[in-house]
Amino acid sequence: MAAFEYRQAQEVRDAFSRRGVRYLFIGKSGAILLGFPDTTQDADLYIEKNARNARALITALRDLGFTLSEEQNRDLERGKDFAQLKNGPFDLYLIFAPDGIERFEDAWRRRVDVEGFPVCHLDDIIASKAAANRQKDREGLPRLKAFRDYWLEKRQ
Amino acid sequence: MAASRKIDNMKSRADIPADWRAEFEAAAHRPLEQRMKYAFIRTYKPVLDDADYRAFDTMEQYRQWCEKNLPSWLGYGRV
Repeated sequence: MAAFEYRQAQEVRDAFSRRGVRYLFIGKSGAILLGFPDTTQDADLYIEKNARNARALITALRDLGFTLSEEQNRDLERGKDFAQLKNGPFDLYLIFAPDGIERFEDAWRRRVDVEGFPVCHLDDIIASKAAANRQKDREGLPRLKAFRDYWLEKRQ
Repeated sequence: MAASRKIDNMKSRADIPADWRAEFEAAAHRPLEQRMKYAFIRTYKPVLDDADYRAFDTMEQYRQWCEKNLPSWLGYGRV
């Protein structure tokens, strides 16, 4: 499996838009879209958790070439908090209830558009990493917070 | 209000280490496609990469699964 590429991000954006999926890039992949110079392996998507959006998501994933079994479809429709997909043309992490963010609607209101990609605000990305409190997040947080300060300076 | 905002801005400028600021500036001059090319890498992650699909009812269950099953050096354990 090759690394996630710009072209694949465009395919996600276009397929999700066509099917009406409400989602946001989150995690380090979201920060990278906002300009954060760092490395990651995963594309993390924050998916609004409701039945309509789950059905749209399943259709969009099929459009993209992911192979989902009936059981996996049921999982997503039933409303898991987290799913890791490695059964398609690239890896996707689907997060339906990220730590540190109360409601999708709040994050959606604060989102940043980057070339048509809906991305969580850096404050939400930082909040979710801080709340997850994993070793790898804790190590990267000071630099990510510094980038947030830089990014806010540039936006003023 | 404006003065306090200015002080906050000066503080945030001063708080960013110079080498990080230089990296941020350099990245800001690259187009998104190039930034993504540099950013997304691929290396094998034991256990995590060994299944096509996993799903968890709650984030807590996912975190616990990571802590129980993944090598600690991957960094997925909580502090």
